[in-house]
This record gives sequence, C-alpha cells and structure tokens, in this order.
Amino acid sequence: MGKLRGFMEYERINEPVVAPDERIQNYKEFTVAPKNEELQKQGGRCMACGVPFCHSGCPLGNLIPDFNDAVHKNEWEKALTILHSTNNFPEFTGRLCPAPCEEACVLGIINPPVSIELIEKYIVERGFSEGWIKPQPPETRTGKTVAVIGSGPAGLAAAQQLNRAGHTVTVFERDNKIGGLLRYGIPDFKMEKNVIDRRMEILEAEGIIFKCEVEVGKTINAEEIEKEFDAVVLCTGASIKRELPIPGADLKGVTQAMDFLPHNNKAVDGQHKRDPKYLAKDRNVIVIGGGDTGSDCIGTSNRQGAKSVTNFEIMPKPADGRTEDNPWPYWPFKLKTSSSHEEGSHREWNILTKEFIGDGKGNLKGLKTVEVAWKKIPGQRPQLVELEGSEKEWPCELALLALGFTGPEKSLPEQFGLTFDPRGNVKGEQQYQTNKPNIFAAGDARRGQSLIVWAISEGREAAHQIDTYLMGSSDLPQKNIAGDLMAV
Amino acid sequence: MDKIKYIKHNDYKAVSINTLYDVAKGHNGLEAALDQMIVEIEKVVDDGANIIILSDRGVSPEKAPIPMLLACSHAHHGLKKLKKRSLFGIIIESAEPREPHHFSLLFGYGASAINPYMVNEIITHQVENDIIQGISVEKAIDNFNKAIAKGIVKVMNKIGISTLHSYRGAQIFEALGLNEKFIETYFCKTATRIEGIGLYEIEKEINKRFHKAYSQENLAGMPLEIGGDYRWRRDGEKHMLNPASIAKLQQAVRQNKFETYGVYSKLINEQSEKLMTLRGMFEFSSFDPIPLEEVEPWTEIVKRFKTGAMSLGSISAEAHENLAIAMNRIGAKSNSGEGGEDPKRFQPDMDGNWKNSAIKQVASGRFGVSSHYLSSAKEIQIKMAQGAKPGEGGQLPGPKVNPYIASVRNSTPYVGLISPPPHHDIYSIEDLAQLIYDLKNANREARVNVQLVSEVGVGTIAAGVAKAKADVILISGFDGGTGASPLTSLKHAGLPWELGIAEAQQTLVMNDLRSRIVLECDGQMKTGRDVAIACLLGAEEFGFSTAPLVASGCIMMRACHLNTCPVGIATQDPELRKNFKGKPEHVINFMYFVAQELREIMASLGFRSINEMVGQSQKLNMNKAINHYKAQGIDLSKILYKPDVPDYVDTHNTKKQDHGLEKVLDFKIVSKAHTAIYRKDPQHLEFDIKNTNRSVGAILSNEISKIHGANGLPEDTLSIHFKGTAGQSFGAFATTGLFLKVIGNCNDYFGKGLSGGKLVAQVPKEATFKADENIIIGNVALYGAVTGEAYINGVAGERFCVRNSGATAVVEGIGDHGCEYMTGGTALVIGEFGRNFAAGMSGGIAYLYSDDGTFDDKKFNLEMVELEDLTDKDFEKVQELLNNHIDYTNSSRAKSILKDWKENSRKFIKVMPTDYKRALEILAKEAEEAKID
Repeated sequence: MGKLRGFMEYERINEPVVAPDERIQNYKEFTVAPKNEELQKQGGRCMACGVPFCHSGCPLGNLIPDFNDAVHKNEWEKALTILHSTNNFPEFTGRLCPAPCEEACVLGIINPPVSIELIEKYIVERGFSEGWIKPQPPETRTGKTVAVIGSGPAGLAAAQQLNRAGHTVTVFERDNKIGGLLRYGIPDFKMEKNVIDRRMEILEAEGIIFKCEVEVGKTINAEEIEKEFDAVVLCTGASIKRELPIPGADLKGVTQAMDFLPHNNKAVDGQHKRDPKYLAKDRNVIVIGGGDTGSDCIGTSNRQGAKSVTNFEIMPKPADGRTEDNPWPYWPFKLKTSSSHEEGSHREWNILTKEFIGDGKGNLKGLKTVEVAWKKIPGQRPQLVELEGSEKEWPCELALLALGFTGPEKSLPEQFGLTFDPRGNVKGEQQYQTNKPNIFAAGDARRGQSLIVWAISEGREAAHQIDTYLMGSSDLPQKNIAGDLMAV
Repeated sequence: MDKIKYIKHNDYKAVSINTLYDVAKGHNGLEAALDQMIVEIEKVVDDGANIIILSDRGVSPEKAPIPMLLACSHAHHGLKKLKKRSLFGIIIESAEPREPHHFSLLFGYGASAINPYMVNEIITHQVENDIIQGISVEKAIDNFNKAIAKGIVKVMNKIGISTLHSYRGAQIFEALGLNEKFIETYFCKTATRIEGIGLYEIEKEINKRFHKAYSQENLAGMPLEIGGDYRWRRDGEKHMLNPASIAKLQQAVRQNKFETYGVYSKLINEQSEKLMTLRGMFEFSSFDPIPLEEVEPWTEIVKRFKTGAMSLGSISAEAHENLAIAMNRIGAKSNSGEGGEDPKRFQPDMDGNWKNSAIKQVASGRFGVSSHYLSSAKEIQIKMAQGAKPGEGGQLPGPKVNPYIASVRNSTPYVGLISPPPHHDIYSIEDLAQLIYDLKNANREARVNVQLVSEVGVGTIAAGVAKAKADVILISGFDGGTGASPLTSLKHAGLPWELGIAEAQQTLVMNDLRSRIVLECDGQMKTGRDVAIACLLGAEEFGFSTAPLVASGCIMMRACHLNTCPVGIATQDPELRKNFKGKPEHVINFMYFVAQELREIMASLGFRSINEMVGQSQKLNMNKAINHYKAQGIDLSKILYKPDVPDYVDTHNTKKQDHGLEKVLDFKIVSKAHTAIYRKDPQHLEFDIKNTNRSVGAILSNEISKIHGANGLPEDTLSIHFKGTAGQSFGAFATTGLFLKVIGNCNDYFGKGLSGGKLVAQVPKEATFKADENIIIGNVALYGAVTGEAYINGVAGERFCVRNSGATAVVEGIGDHGCEYMTGGTALVIGEFGRNFAAGMSGGIAYLYSDDGTFDDKKFNLEMVELEDLTDKDFEKVQELLNNHIDYTNSSRAKSILKDWKENSRKFIKVMPTDYKRALEILAKEAEEAKID
C-alpha cells in the first residue's frame, strides 16, 4: 500500500491557482489541474496507516488510504469506485469541503498532511472526463415511492441511494434549478454550476424525477404529498438567516449575505441583470461574519469591483496552528485564510457592530463598532465584554451580514405535524425518522447548519433508514461509528 | 486439478463430492448435507474411489457453500468413525482458502492437497488486466503457492513438526467459542474450553453472508466492502485500538486529565463487553464497598506494573529509554527486551533520569546477555515463548541493525539477526531449572521470571517452572504483539490470557505451589478493569506494552517491520527518530490512571490491597447482559473455578523460593580472592571440583561486574585451577580477567554466556586416553558466549558454539550442529565434527581441520555460509590459536599439526557466512571513507 517512504521523499503540494488579480476578473473557477504524475506522487505520500485517522475524521468515512493507493498505482477507475462507495458527490466535497480528513491525517503529526481533497477532486474529474461515471439505474423497481423535499446535497444523496435500492424517487425543489445552496449559495468561482448539471444528468438518467419550482407546503400541500408517496424525506436545509437587530438595520445597503450571493449567482448564470442595491462596485464593503459565507462575500465583492473590503469577526483571532488544548486528530480551531481573503480584504477580530449609520436618505453610510474582549469564567462559556473607549466609525455603503443560520423554516414541518428539537431543528425521534414514521429528515433541516460532507452523509444514512422502513431491511450501506473519532 | 478429476489410472479413481447445501432449508439443510456427504463418500469409496475431491463449486442462489474446513474435518472424522479413512485421500477444491492459516487448518484436519481456485482466478484476472504487471499468470500463481507453502512451513516449525505428512490430520488447534457437542460431531477431540456456538449459529452466519452476496448484486454501483481485518476501517472488523480510543488516551496522558482517561477506558471496556475479549464477558459481583482512601495508594500499586519486552532494535532508543525512565521514576519495571542494553544506561544520568531497564530479558538469541548486563537487573526474564508469536524467535532485519544496535547486541552491523525458536540450553524442565540456577548465580538479588504463553496445559508447565525455582511466572496472552509479528501469528496463534492465568492459578494453588511464585499476566492490558480481572483470576503483577506505547505517541501504524514509523517509535531511521514526542510523564500518567481506575474497582469490591484480591474469582460473574446469538452457549465456569483448599494453602505469593545458593563454590572463591577482585592484583588459587558444583564462576563474575562493570579485571588477573569433574555451566558468564581451568572434565553448558573470561579444559597428565578421541566437555558449550576465549583439550558434545557472538574457541572435535546461529567470534575445530554444521550461521568464522584435508559437503548446512580457502591472515590467526592451545593445555594434537605446518596447513578450510562477509566489506568501506574525511 502506498509508497514505502513516499512521505519522506515527496513534498505536499496544494492545488495550483491563478494569481488573485487575474482571477478576480471573472467568476470562473481558478484552479489549475496538476499533472497525473504529480497526483500519483501525492497519493504515494499516504502511509497506509494501520489506523487511518483520516478515514475516521471524514464524516462520510471515505476510504482514503485505499483510493490514495489506487491513485498512486495509476489505477484511477478503481480509485473512483472506492471513492463513490462512500461519497455520492466527490466533485462537491473535492471543491468545497474544509477537509477534516486532512486535519486528522497521521502524517500531519510530523509533516504537512496528504493532499486528500486534491486527490479526491481529481479522481472524480478524471471519472467524468473519461466517461467512467455512467448512470446506474437499479435492475428492478420495488414499486415504492419516495418524495425528497429539497435538492441540496442531503436531498440529492438520499435520492440517489433510494433510487439504487429500487424505489421511485421524486425530488421537489422550490427554486428554478436544483442544487440548493450548492447552486445559489456557493459562488461560481468556488464551484461552477455545470458541475451540478452534469451530476443531475446522471441522476435523471438513473430514473430520479426532479420537479423544480414546486414548493411543498405551498404549490402542493403536505397532505397530498403524504398521500401520494410511501415515504417522505425533508432535506430543506437550515435557511433562516440570523439577523443583526441593531439601530439602522433597515437602511438601504444593509444586506443579508444569502440575498447578495444568490442574486449574484443568478446574474452569472444569465438569469437576470444585477440590481444596483446588491452591487459592491465602488463601494466600501464590510462583511460581518468571519465564516465561509463571509469569505464568499469577500470574493464576490472584489469581483464586482468594491472600493474596499473589510471583514469583521466578533471572536478573537485564532492561533496560526494547533494549541495544546486542541490536539491532533481533532478539528483545529486555527486561523483560516481563504482564497477570497488572499484576493484582498482587511480583517478585524474582537469587533462588535453597534449601529448602522444612515446618510439621512435611508442609505447606509457607515458602521459604528466597539472592540470586545472575552472573559474566561471556569466552567462557563467565555463572556463578552465591550472595551470602553474603543468605539470607532467605519465608512461603508454595503454591509453584508454573514452571521449564519438559526435553523430550518418551520412552516412545512408544522404542516406535516412534526416536532422540533430544543435548537429548533426537525427532530429525528429514531435518528432520521421523525415523530411520523413515514416522514424522515436529513441534512441541515435535522442537524442545523453544517458542512456539505455532513449533508451527504445524512442523506445516505436517512436513505438506509427509509429503505428499512419500506422493505423491513436494507442493503444500502450504513456507517458504523463505533470506534470513530466522532463517537466521543 | 482436472488431471486428477478425470484421472484414468488403474490404481487411482477420483470422485468429486459437492459441498453445498440448500440455503432455504437453513440449519437442517446444512446438517443434512453434511450427513449426506458422509453417505456419498462411503458409497464411492466402497465402489473403489481412493481420491475424494471436496468441491464447493456450483454456488447458486439456492445452494450455499458449506465452510470447507467443516466439510473437510467432517469427511475426515466421519469416515474414520466408519473405519474407512485410510482408503482415500482428500483433495480440496475451494474458493475459501487464501491465507496460510486457512491452508494449515485444512491440512491439520485431513486434507492432502488444496486447489484454491478463487485465489487462482483472482490472480489470473489481475495479471490479465495489468493490475499485476511484468509477470505471467503461471509465475504469479506459482509465487502465491510458494508464499503459502512458506507460511505453512512456518506454522509447522512453530509447532515442531518437520513434514507435512506428520502435520496432516494432526489437528494441533484449540477452538475458542465452539460448543462441545459441535466439536465432538465435526472436529472430534479438538480442545474447546469455553463452549460457545454450534452448527445452528454457523449456518446463520453463512446465511447472512450468502444473502449479502446475492443482494449486493442488485444494488447498482456498490463495490465489495474493503474490510478491516488487519487495518482499521469504519465498517470493517472491530479493533480495540481505534481512532477514538487512541486519540482519547493520548489526549488524557498529555493533558494529564483523568476524566479524559475515563472516556478512553469506558470506550475500551465497553468494546470489551461487545464480545471482543473474554474478559468483556465478565462482570463484577458481590460488591462490598469500602472508602477509596482505605485502598492501598496508587504509588504502591504501580510497583506491580511492568512494560512489556520490546527490544531496542524493534523500537528506537528514544522510545525504549522513555519507558525505562518513566517506570524507574515510579518504582515500576520496564523490560529490556531481547536485544541487550547499552551499559551507559545502567547508572542514572546527570539529570537524575535512570534509563536502566529493571527487567533484563534472556531470550533464545541471548543477544547481549553478559555478566554485566545480568548484574544490572532487578528481574531477569527467561522468554520461553512470546505471546504475540508463540514458537517463533524474534527477527531483526539487516537494515535495522545499525552499528549502535549491533554494539548493544554484540553482533555485526547490517547482518540480520534471527533468534532461534528454542533455547538451545533448554530441552527439558531440568534444563530450565539449570538456566534459572545459572541466572540466579549471575545476579542473586534479581528475581528470575519465566515467560510462558497462554495455552492448554500451561498450568502443568507453570507447576514445573515453580518447582524449577522461578521466582515469577509470566503468562502472556495472545492478543499482544508488535506490528512486526507475522500476520498468521497475529491472528491465529496463542490464546487469551484469561484462560492461561486461570489455569495456572488453579494448578499452582491445588499443588500448594502458589505461595512461592509471583504470577504475572500480560497481553493487551489497557484499563484498570483489565487489571482487576487479571488479578481476580490469579495475577499479582501486570504487564502493559501497546498502551504505554500509544501513550508515548504510537498511532498503530502497523509498519513496525518497515522501519518507517513516522512517530519515531518502531524505527531506527535517524530522521524519523527525531519525531519521537513521548515524555516519561505520559507513561507515568497512564500507569497512574490505570492504578486509580483499579483502586476504584477495588474499593467497590471491598479489597484494601492487591494481595487480598488475587485469585478471588468468586467476585466475577459471566456478564448477564450479553445478548448476541454468537455468544450464547459460552461457558466460562472453567475459568472462574476456584479450588477448594485448606486455609494453610496460600493463594497468592507469600514467600520466596529457596534457591540453595549457600553451598555454591563461588562463595569460597570470593572469600579468598579479595585482592584480585578489589585491588586487581594478580592471584592464583586452586580448588577441587565435583559435578555438584554448578555454574562455577557466575557469582564471582557478578561480584566483579558490580565493582568494575563491563571491563571486568585486567586479563588473567584471577587464575583458578580446578581439579576434578565440573558440574553444569562451568564458567557461565565468566567475565574479563578470570582464567578458569579445569583439569579433568566438564558437564553441559561449559562457558554459557561467556563474558570475557578465559576457560580451559585440560586432560589430566595421568590420563591414558587420547584427548582428541574422547569427550571432555558436554553439550551446548559456549551457548550465547559474548566474548572471551576457550581452549578445550578434547572433544565437545553437540551444539558447540551455538549463538556464539564473539568468543574464540579451540576444540579438538565436536558433535552435531556446531556453530549454529553463530553471529560472531571464531571457532577452530582441529578434529572430527558432526552434521548440520553452520546452520543459520550469520557471522563469525570457523576453521576446520581434517587429517586428510577433505571435507564432506553433506555435513555442512550451506544455506548461509560458503566454504573458502584460508588467506595468509587466516593462517596467522590459526597458528596463533594453536600456539595458545598448546600453552594452555599442552595439546599433543595441536603440537603435531604445527610440527609439520607446511604440509598440515593445507588441510584447513574456512567457513564464512555470506552476509557477514558483505557486512565486513561495508564496514571496511565505511572505515576507509572515515579516513578520507
């Protein structure tokens, strides 16, 4: 397995990229494919560990050492089979996942970890370009029908798994195209949308029925769905945006990131012209929220030609590497500099926005902030303290709120008569099965906002349970997390 | 295969018998098919068939295969019961066998030949699809067969069987978890002690797998599972040490958090309960809680803790020393392993850290076992067998033997080291008693520990070992083992310690031998609960290996044999060793946590001390919570049996062994040799000697080593002449500066572990016989000699100079197996020698002489050596040795050879190990380069 001493011979490479000033001229993906030989070397860095922590660090349980080895040996088709056995859509995770696997990689203890995500991406890209990824419709149909509500990564994964088990699956999407946040949340420069389209073609050819611009609960009500389908799975995401209820929040120019980004994506797709209220061009942009969505706003603003881009984060600046109380192989809370940050942004930590200032005509003119500190109290969460005399004003004509989501929209689950957990997510009484035996929930709708890789995992697991519910038992794979990092 | 199937020969008639059953009929179908198989075989045998091919070809959605081993054994035993077994041979045609163990089992239960058609098809497919490249199908299959054959030979070698003919049908296996009824019916007379499942459950398993195979076909795009037998995979086989438990243990010891250890220990203990270990099936009962403060403190408990025998060589100096420092700090014991130890470590260093391993191991290879080494021990462990790979010796591949490792082992750099499977000085329990006595003489303050592996009959062996006066008996469980153990050993050799420790305790108590023995137990002990169960079953000391390594940073890479351990533990690569991040505190924290967990259990059960707790198996119950069809029927009562003995019979260690050292001749010598020993003034003494004077020189050497360390005394400082017949182990571990001469003769083990001294055996002047035709010293002379010289004025017995690593010996004739496994030193044999000379000899040089100058090739084992002519340098050396021999023994044979040197010098031959020659060349080149630099 792997190459003996490969990890001592070869250095890690990251995916090559186009220089920032060049790439911000358009919305295209800006990565450059490495040569096959280079990828084979990268696969050869894998040490074929007796206990591969990467495989455990991956929420999907991707068989990382196994596909690394296959790539190292130039057996790409085999690698693809291994990769697909745990991950329905490696082209999504290969581009967008924060790669907890790499943080858990054993090589990471002593050297930069194996470039797992890079290898993953190029296995699947190779698969598409060689035509190895073909529709695999089931041989027989069970006669059972399942409705999947929502076409994000959780919904798509559930749909593909259920379809493979022979059920007839219909996916409902309220938007005009499938993909959920993948389609309209993720900017094109991170993932071009034909990546979703080519996968959808496969899914359709496998026999999955897609119904866009159908909003269950409105276009068609819950009762009808329940009547028509033997089982239903809610993959509607966690789409309620967190607000910032401070003075001036209703000024023109205070915009939710999740309004700003979809608007831009649709413009890139040629569906409409940009509305000036969502345009960063020649404006001072302040992005409030230091997460991935915040990054996407920065990248998009720069591409639109913003005058300046500043990023606020209320938490302190994290350490550059792991700290002692944050040991390997667990997820590290360390400073992350995204490609969007590299394209030009100023970052502020420990900063709290107190007020949006208007120009007297209802337009945003600036922000008032205060610096904060986090007081540690043993046994409790750290407490926020505002530092007196640190108030400051920032010129700003476009403030983008990237503050995360608070949970799923309630109306549809309520229409179905489902219960919620204390955090407001749809409650899975028996894991993915809700209080109604024929209705299941998966993805952000059930677990709250999370990663794409978790969404795919949820979709797969829910599919197993739905199949069991429909058939009495299931041969669909199910992950066994006993002994896994996430077990404790 | 087809050739046999369709054989047309008057003497042979082959018939194929199908081994499938109706899967729809379930258990009954399987049982019926097995019965039917016997009927069919009997019929065709009656009709004259003498080759029965058992074949599982033809599996279909209706027909599932009977496990081939079950079919084979049943055919073997079923026809034996009908008294017709001798009329035919069994040939297996099966998709199942793929690992050496599978083949070994089939042969062990009666098969004569095996056709693993599935493996062959896979190989063919892989070659045809370029997955295996640069090799023909025939060659690839041939290679596979060769590898399997090697594996089987290894298995047979462990057991001590030389031919497949003897192995066939020998069924040297113990079953774990199969019930008596099932075994009686299908695997007649195989040992099975804890009962367990039968045919019904086996059918259920087959059915499950069968269903999976067929349903999987319908699931579009689902590949076969990867499996995780040898490497952890989330959906594969379970492993106790997995990402969660490793991460939590490392976090706990690094952050010194008992709560985090609690998470780890809960993980391990709960997994244990999920049928991963026998101990997992026990639960504590008869609670009688006392306050925790009343239980003896952790500092006392950890003194009973040890780390396992992992040699320097197998693990890096950093990791090895880290364990030693940690264990010494808390008064516990680390183990040197079998690779010797750098004498620098015997004294504490400037920082107050003491890197000395309290336990010094004596294994069959005897690497680095010198008087000084033994003198530094608190406990000396004789490794009779290794839990991880019973019946096998350690192996260190050449690249791992760097100059430092070689120096510690007294071997040649870059020459691979093989420990022989047996100790060549132990062929009976009396021999073991002698070795214990030798070691006790070599260091009388140290306890002598004998390591045994858990197996059927270990109780009887333990009783023998107790009578042979060991101070400690270690029972090793099977589930330990380094990543470097052969895979067949890892999975299929040895038994859990629960069985062994219980049997040893019961036997020792019943024979009232328990009180004079300390019973120790090891094998994947990971938590306080594990220790508590071992204690209740009879152990009072406890060994840990894997867990403290994980605490030191091991991440279960399982690359120990590849020298690529990325965390600097199981590697000698200087770059990788820099990555070692373990600290003594990590190991100490682990020991502390385990002791604390143990104390909590002790408090709940009402024990104030370990001594109170040992062997109190009534505090254990079978876990009632077990609810798995495969665990039903398991009966652990044999493990939990507590012998009913009178009050005066102690059930734990209460007294010391009486080693009877007070009568040893050495004490007389020591009392007269003060000036030599303390002032290094030359001294000459004379004593009479009898064959009851055993291990003469060992105590003397121990005293010298204690004062002067490895250097001993200046050459020939203390010269002693003995008259008479020396007992066994004359000159054992004799150190530098001693000159010991017997005028008379000697028993076995002359010069065992010679550590720099000079030994002479001389025929008395009055003798009328010819020295070179008569035996003067017994068998196994100079076994494990480290350095020194020996001149023997007569013939030595068998196994002369086995495992010699540096001594120079002159002898006038030897028996069979001379110079076996020798790694260094020189042997000059100027007389007859027996067969199998130089087997496994990887170092050193032997010179042989014959009167007519010819040598019979058949007498040599030429696997590792070449025969060469002597060079000028060699002749110089030989002449020098012959002159010494004359000086010390007045040998007439040596004189006559030298007398006509010109003529006689042509009658020598040189035996040179090929690896050794190459290594000497590397070393010479290195020296040259060093000069240029």
